[in-house]
Amino acid sequence: MSTPHLALDLAALSRREARRGRAAHWKTVCGLLLALLWLLPFSFVVLAICKSTEEYATSAPLALPASLAPLLDNARDAWQQGEMGQAMLNSALYASVGTGLSVLLAAMAAFALTRIRFPRRNLWFLLLFAGTVFPFQMYLVPLFFGFQWAALLNTHAGMCLLYTALCIPFPVLVLRNYMQSLSLEVDQAARMDGASELTLFLRIILPCLRGPMAAVFLLQFTWIWNDMLFSSVLGNRPETRSIMNALLVFQGSYAQSGPNIMLTAAVLASLPTLLLFLLLRRQFMQGLRIA
Amino acid sequence: MNALMETDEQLLARIGLARIQAAEQARTGRQLRLALPFLAPALLLVATLLLLPVAYNIWLSLTHWQLFQGQDEFAGLHNYSQLWTSPYFDDALGNTAIWVAASVILPLLLGLVLAMLFRRMPGQEWFKSVIFLPRILAPTAVGVMWYYVYAPDGLLNQLLSTVSGQALQIGWLFEDSLITPAIILTFVWQTCGLVMVLLLLGLAALPRDPLEAARIDGAGPWQVFRHITLPLLSPTLLMVVILSVLAGFTVFDLLWVMGSSYPQQRTLSLAVFMYFEAFQKSNWAFAAATAVVIGGVVLAVTWLQTLLQARIDRMVR
Repeated sequence: MSTPHLALDLAALSRREARRGRAAHWKTVCGLLLALLWLLPFSFVVLAICKSTEEYATSAPLALPASLAPLLDNARDAWQQGEMGQAMLNSALYASVGTGLSVLLAAMAAFALTRIRFPRRNLWFLLLFAGTVFPFQMYLVPLFFGFQWAALLNTHAGMCLLYTALCIPFPVLVLRNYMQSLSLEVDQAARMDGASELTLFLRIILPCLRGPMAAVFLLQFTWIWNDMLFSSVLGNRPETRSIMNALLVFQGSYAQSGPNIMLTAAVLASLPTLLLFLLLRRQFMQGLRIA
Repeated sequence: MNALMETDEQLLARIGLARIQAAEQARTGRQLRLALPFLAPALLLVATLLLLPVAYNIWLSLTHWQLFQGQDEFAGLHNYSQLWTSPYFDDALGNTAIWVAASVILPLLLGLVLAMLFRRMPGQEWFKSVIFLPRILAPTAVGVMWYYVYAPDGLLNQLLSTVSGQALQIGWLFEDSLITPAIILTFVWQTCGLVMVLLLLGLAALPRDPLEAARIDGAGPWQVFRHITLPLLSPTLLMVVILSVLAGFTVFDLLWVMGSSYPQQRTLSLAVFMYFEAFQKSNWAFAAATAVVIGGVVLAVTWLQTLLQARIDRMVR
């Protein structure tokens, strides 16, 4: 009795296996096509930055360049005409100071919110968290006049302060959630041994936060590097422009330089974050999971 | 004296309630003093640079402030009533509505398809990275790239010409009917990867048992997806929808870069309209009122999210 059943099952199983195999092939082909479609604009850009301005004007967008030689000229022209050197330095300053300071201050605030039992902690937390719920549009006009009043408009200090403030609330949220999962017993032991709150924070809690802090750091660094809006309102001078704002200004005045130069400038401006992503892809994804 | 015959006051005095209360107060005061040095820097920065400006912005929206006019003239809701009669505002609002609808539906559908496609596929890490890659770039850089993709002699026209067999030179970013869809396409290209990654994270966290049970009961792949996977995924879906609504509603950078040579720039979205009024026309009070409208909608959406989240949490549990 059991033999026919067995045979039937085996046939069905192998049919299903085959169907699954075909489906897998079909899926891989679809995925490959989609990936190629997604890469199409990139390939256009990669080809374009290898062409001279005349070559760009006369050849088809996806035609291969005659040689790679114009790439260096394009890079030099974009760097000089777009005033990208200063802007790169500015953005590096804003992103490192803004992110470093905000993550540190956020860790301190999260420490106080989770490890010290003072009254109305939730209210204090909500006050900090309120910094994430408003759209940027509500900050622009008041900050512009506030910065003018405080002589912070178009200064490096002003931009660093602003980026620090903007980047505090989100790490507070993430680090607070993380710290709540750390056991309180260590604290008590440390306090019994006479450790001050500062020692406790620096020696015991901070080392535990390396993972989430790195993840948050990456996300915030990329955000500051990629920001154009605040720089165009509060720091729109050649000395204080962020890199993306410089790119925008360059685009607005590109009459004298060709599309190949503009595209090269866009690639140069994106290289740092692109490299960061390619090198630290896993940490980026980790950051998204935490967020 | 018998303890049972004490009055309440006597009892409290004997066990020293006042002393306990005082000690308790001293303790919380001490704790607050311990906490403040850690809390104060963050709080100070957030309060002065973020919260104070929001309050100031609301006040500004109630004044007549513009170039060469004092900010001390109280205007009531004048700026808000002006908004509804401004023809640019109507167009900006309409475009923003299109943005919200498109940026919820398209990335979600496409992201869901991609997530289901790449799930358990060999080499999925590679595919995921490719789709996610545009998200790492600044919207400004993406805008510059796609500006030339959409140029009359750019990539898109070239591809369409090859497919259709006739030479096309469409100015995608110069025509009223084309510019918003064109920029939305760029937006989808850029943001789809994030939606996909979030959905994949949600899918990975799903419990196995209901799926197995449904499959054993003979449900087909579509039925499993429709009746088991989607409902279980609803918390993630809600988060993605809310993120997309907010992103679509406040979109600025892409529009500002790609629409820079479009004559009706300030109709492109509410955020662009606001920027235009503030920093090109110096209508500061009017711009502040626009910002309050944007902020009001954003807060309402966020509030809705917490409501729905609570409801879904209860349902799933």
